[in-house]
Amino acid sequence: MHDIRLPRVLDEAYRVAWGDLCYFRENVATILLSCLVGPLLYLIAFGYGIGSGMEKGVDDYIRFIIPGIISMATLSATFSFISSKILIQKLFYASFDELMLCPIRPSSVVLGKSLVGVLRGMCSCAIILMIGILISPGIKVTATLFLLMFVSSLTFSLLGILAGLIAKKHNSLTVFSSLVIVPMTFFCGTIFEISNVPAPLGYAIYTLPLTHPTESIRAVMLDLPMPWLSVLILCAYCVLFFILDYHLIKRRSF
Amino acid sequence: MGIIIKAEGLKKSFDGFEAVRCIDIEVEEGEVFGFLGPNGAGKTTSIRMLTTMVRPTSGNITINGFSLDKDMTEAKASIGVCQQHISLDKDITVRQNIKHHAILHKMPSKEIAARMDELSEFMCLGPHMDKKITELSGGWKRKTSIVCSIMHKPKILFLDEPTAGLDTKSRHMLWDLIRQLNRSGTTIFLTTHYIEEAEDLCDRVAILNQGTVVALGSPKELRDSIGGMTVEYSDDAGRKVMRQFPDRQSGKEFMATLGENTTMSLRRTTLEDVFLIVTGEEYSKGGA
Repeated sequence: MHDIRLPRVLDEAYRVAWGDLCYFRENVATILLSCLVGPLLYLIAFGYGIGSGMEKGVDDYIRFIIPGIISMATLSATFSFISSKILIQKLFYASFDELMLCPIRPSSVVLGKSLVGVLRGMCSCAIILMIGILISPGIKVTATLFLLMFVSSLTFSLLGILAGLIAKKHNSLTVFSSLVIVPMTFFCGTIFEISNVPAPLGYAIYTLPLTHPTESIRAVMLDLPMPWLSVLILCAYCVLFFILDYHLIKRRSF
Repeated sequence: MGIIIKAEGLKKSFDGFEAVRCIDIEVEEGEVFGFLGPNGAGKTTSIRMLTTMVRPTSGNITINGFSLDKDMTEAKASIGVCQQHISLDKDITVRQNIKHHAILHKMPSKEIAARMDELSEFMCLGPHMDKKITELSGGWKRKTSIVCSIMHKPKILFLDEPTAGLDTKSRHMLWDLIRQLNRSGTTIFLTTHYIEEAEDLCDRVAILNQGTVVALGSPKELRDSIGGMTVEYSDDAGRKVMRQFPDRQSGKEFMATLGENTTMSLRRTTLEDVFLIVTGEEYSKGGA
């Protein structure tokens, strides 16, 4: 990975993303609407539905799950969109082949392909955040929050690239989503406190990547002590997915 | 003029099947080099290895002086590729596909619009530029692919069956474009099913069979290698038979030995005759 020089990589990443950004710009309303429906439904169903029956009251629970829903959005707005796009561009459009023919470094391809996912993730999070501020004005919004949303969106975009590159047919992606992504959205502390589940399950939950942005984002928004280990693990997942994507593209093992 | 494409001991296996057994070729800068072969001969696998799309099982490739093992990115900057299958992004328009290609090849933004106008005019793409790829017929998609592959003025242009699916007018338009590009110094590497296309366009031709080069030379050299004249006649069983001879005189002498009622003709040997002989088709090799 000796060829990673940041300005050049970023310039090339933008070049890679250009086509996807054209598509994003022309379909922004549909794209955002489609990725907001899920998180907003969770907010209403869990926040007002289940929250109203809780001891602490609906307001406290909503305050608790807003960071979870934002964390969930960094996954739901990025993973499926990126993995399907990569798979379609690879198998059906063959336009991924064209990309491989261009004088662009593998690191730039990885970053460029993740860029539109990050954009989608950040837009979704920003909209949920605005709704969150309206219904629960006490939550804190800082630059660290945006940084965490960015790193989390990037991590799950990179995971989406990995899944899209490895998958040989659309069904494989659906199976992966059903077995890994959907359970992750519910289990990773998005709608409940991990400390409330039995210890062995709690440990298992801590191995999943979504747990860590959830914990970190919640800490920032609710003004709790920052779980630095979770921040570190989130960054480690990000680097790990980047390295795996990089090697798959460099070796053309997809 | 030096060697611009060099492949040594190129092999590729897929799950034990040897798609390319051993290929050694050298392409001179500025020439139009043709790759001919029957289906499954290894043409597309070879071109995919030469264009960095597939890693060879073994062997070395040098493109424009850059080894694909060490300087792949630099090698990619020298080439343009029009693949056999349409490989355009169907989510965006023709204009956006072409522009994206130029951006990926790091063309200066000032040059992009002018080059796009020039090529879209030449390929009559103008009315289709703002259409989505899915709205185009196969021929227009092919033209868009071709424009993408030459947008950045590559030193070497790889064309994998570029005229497949094109109508006669478009095919001739593309041949003109290939000649024009070649005159301006672009080296062309072409695979085709149309033998007359190779015969008409190529300075040299390699004929591939079962993953290896079985004949290599200019169309004339290849024709002369089996005999420049061909006698075509029907044998006793009524089957069409062809025999090659080095010159018209020996062909005529042979014809004189055939029965009076035999249907026969004497003509120049074509590249198709060479192709059929070297790829092992049922064919009677004559006096050459």
